Amino acid sequence: MQTEKRKERIDRGIKIRSDGIYALSSWREITYLIAPRFLLIGGLLAAPLLLHFFPYWQKVLLIICIYALLSMAFDFLANYVGLVCLGGSFFVGVGGYGAALLNKYLLLSPLISIPLAALFGAAFCTLLLLPCLPLRGVYFAIITLMYPLMMTRIIEAFELFGGTNGMMDIQGFGNPWIEQYFLVVATLVFLFALRRLSVEDLGLVIRGIKDNDQSVRASGINITFIKAQAIFYASFLGCFAGAYLAHVYMWAGLSMFALDFSIIPIAATVVGGGGSLLGAVLGAILLVPLSEVLRAFGPLRIVVYSLILTVVIVIKGEGLLNYLSRKYHQFERWVEI
Amino acid sequence: MLAADGLMVFYENMLALNNISLRCHENQIVGVFGANSAGKSTLMYTLSGIILDQKIKEKMRGGEQITVMGEITFEGREISGLRPHLRARLGIVLCPERRRLFPESSVMENLKIGAYMATRQESRDTLDYVLEIFPPLEKLLRRPAGFLSGGEQQMAAIGRALMAQPKLLLLDEPLLGLSPAYQQVVMEAVKRIREAKKISIIVTEQYARPVIPIVDYAYIMENGSGVMSGSGQELLDNPDVKAAYFGV
Repeated sequence: MQTEKRKERIDRGIKIRSDGIYALSSWREITYLIAPRFLLIGGLLAAPLLLHFFPYWQKVLLIICIYALLSMAFDFLANYVGLVCLGGSFFVGVGGYGAALLNKYLLLSPLISIPLAALFGAAFCTLLLLPCLPLRGVYFAIITLMYPLMMTRIIEAFELFGGTNGMMDIQGFGNPWIEQYFLVVATLVFLFALRRLSVEDLGLVIRGIKDNDQSVRASGINITFIKAQAIFYASFLGCFAGAYLAHVYMWAGLSMFALDFSIIPIAATVVGGGGSLLGAVLGAILLVPLSEVLRAFGPLRIVVYSLILTVVIVIKGEGLLNYLSRKYHQFERWVEI
Repeated sequence: MLAADGLMVFYENMLALNNISLRCHENQIVGVFGANSAGKSTLMYTLSGIILDQKIKEKMRGGEQITVMGEITFEGREISGLRPHLRARLGIVLCPERRRLFPESSVMENLKIGAYMATRQESRDTLDYVLEIFPPLEKLLRRPAGFLSGGEQQMAAIGRALMAQPKLLLLDEPLLGLSPAYQQVVMEAVKRIREAKKISIIVTEQYARPVIPIVDYAYIMENGSGVMSGSGQELLDNPDVKAAYFGV
């Protein structure tokens, strides 16, 4: 009995040392804290420069950021609020059409129409989702899945906004640098803002609702209002992505309500690791280029893509980010008992 | 009948069970007493094997790392690596803490799920027996289990465990949240079950007084370690134990 061994996980000394304010006293501790964040921020900011000679991959970078925003929205709703939301395509569609309308009829420039479209779109989405907030789990997911389908049919049937052809001749960005940095910086800002929000008081209440909404209600908090706020933030991200997409494609059409915008963020969140928002972004950064690389397989692309997803999920079900951060913060050793 | 030696369980780096050894002989009622966080529930999960499932689940979602060590033999067979459903087939049946009934199924359905592995004859006989020792259940058979009162739920939970034809019944805090009157009813029933079915029973409880009259042997746990064991009378005579677990 006494010779048996057990694998023990222990926090690295440097993690403990850099927990408090004293981390500032040494460069090593500061580096330890900043390095992972710097890797992400610096990497994303440098990407447009590095990809300058590969215009195709510059577009991929934009798509990465758009999916990163959608994954963040999904992760936020699923793992913080407890609402499984398949409405990514709904958000994108509403944002896209919103930006197109603002640009075409009010002649607003992209840099103004995108935030405005995100704002109005988020309000619109929140309003439509408001009656469904008491629903939980799969029922909420189905409602959010139905809305984009409904929107496409309405637009088709009434020939709204150009009908099946969509709205053409939307103003583009003109300058590729503005086009890229606007989105990259916005993604980073939203990522850190949302992470910040989730540890503030509001985030505390939001996570409480996920765990036990009755107890939150018993504390005298109106959970519908809080949930609506959370939906507003998430759909703001989604509509922002959609509005952006409309200006990049210079077109807003029915394919903005495509199911891809709902499904791929889920895959990204699962692969990257849910519950930290950063994992969702990491998942998008990995999955979108992967699906581009796999174009070499031609028609078998989706098959290979799905196989890779399945293997990753089975082998590392905890998500990549959780695994990496554990390796970063802790070490393992065998101890005798 | 059941012999556990050197059971150790770690949740991440926290030691939940420290070298626990436990014996339960044929047709014996064994009590395990301890305060909150003494490791009673962990012990039950370890004996029933549910801890192995928890271990896998935690590993899949990257949560806590659970380490289980020690040997468990049941009727001369080594079972420490056996998954919980196989242990249940051997006859080790857990009636979990807080009942864990299927709230949307009726009491009848709950009992039937318990009898899934039993033959038709066995399940009919056991159903009659359950209704005999717990007469209030008779009227409630069609009611969804979630709508029962605490005591009725506990009866249904013990009934469901009995339907699985246990040889060793593990009752995890069966008196949780029951009024003293109901506690007497449940304890009487446990005693009658032992006599009628000739099975062994392990009961955990925080407050030992209602349980001690029916146990043949008892263990006391503190912070994951077994601190004392003895027959019910021996424990009653010990002044420290009296103060801590009998509220005298």
